[in-house]
Amino acid sequence: MVEYIRIAAFLGAGLSVGIGAITTGIGSGLIAGEGAKALIVQPKANESIFRTMLIGQAAAQTAGIFALVISMLLLYGISEAPEGGWFKTAAYLSAGLAMGLGSIGSSYGAGYAGGQACKSVARMPKQSNMILGNMLIGQALAQTSAIFALLVAFLLLYSVPEQPEGLEIGNIIVKSLALIGAGLAIGLGTLGPGTGVGYVAGKASDMIGRFPNEKLKILRTMFLGAAVSQSTAIYSLVVAFLLIFA
Amino acid sequence: MELAQGIVKAAALLGAGMCMGMGALGPGVGEGFVAGKACEGIARSPENASLITRTMLVGQAVSESTGIYSLVIALLLIFST
Repeated sequence: MVEYIRIAAFLGAGLSVGIGAITTGIGSGLIAGEGAKALIVQPKANESIFRTMLIGQAAAQTAGIFALVISMLLLYGISEAPEGGWFKTAAYLSAGLAMGLGSIGSSYGAGYAGGQACKSVARMPKQSNMILGNMLIGQALAQTSAIFALLVAFLLLYSVPEQPEGLEIGNIIVKSLALIGAGLAIGLGTLGPGTGVGYVAGKASDMIGRFPNEKLKILRTMFLGAAVSQSTAIYSLVVAFLLIFA
Repeated sequence: MELAQGIVKAAALLGAGMCMGMGALGPGVGEGFVAGKACEGIARSPENASLITRTMLVGQAVSESTGIYSLVIALLLIFST
């Protein structure tokens, strides 16, 4: 049994950082590409474009760092002879899946927002501070869904009870698969909202650069739209909680 | 719980997780797209802001419906099997 738990933890660690790195890379690449294009368009504004690009990339990496943290916890936070039976086996695998899949959407979204912000800075170098602020707010909104995934991954790591002695095989299968289902629900469920909120943030950064006088109206629409897009991630969070605790 | 019963219930719970997870994917992207275009529209013609916001909210509510279907099916799978 001990071997199975450790196998699940190692598999979960690999899945978490492996899947999570896919779009962290794509997102940072999007920002760098747009930054390079922006430098060709507006070479005089190279300092503010470079700053926007670096800050945007750092924010887009956040979800990848969450995945790395979960992966490290799964690799080194598990004792040599872990206990807890099949419940823990399923929970460790599911924590890796949840964080890995959960970071796809938000890092792509944050990458899109950063790319649009670089484009916008090149068009309007005087507004670079306002665009940078809007980009950071938008990227933080897009990371919300990754934080939901992180929360569920921590719950799966630390608050799943150990398997009681003498439990029938039927109950063991039910609880174990429910835990894997919780990881899949929040992992896949945050993919769409993360990407969608990133698109909103990107468009808002772009438009704030073009029409700085309409800043308040654009910000209001961005917040409202992002909050509504986030609702499906909250449904997934509710279903994941029900699957873990009910 | 017997083995057969356990497998049925376990499959229902795994299905609930996958149902809500994949069901949230489309509405999330779609609503974000609506909101992004609404930001663009409001920036270009700020005098129509209330009309655009209304259209955005109606469009998002309609896109949300498939997410709510998934939530209903997931809750049914969790509580009624």
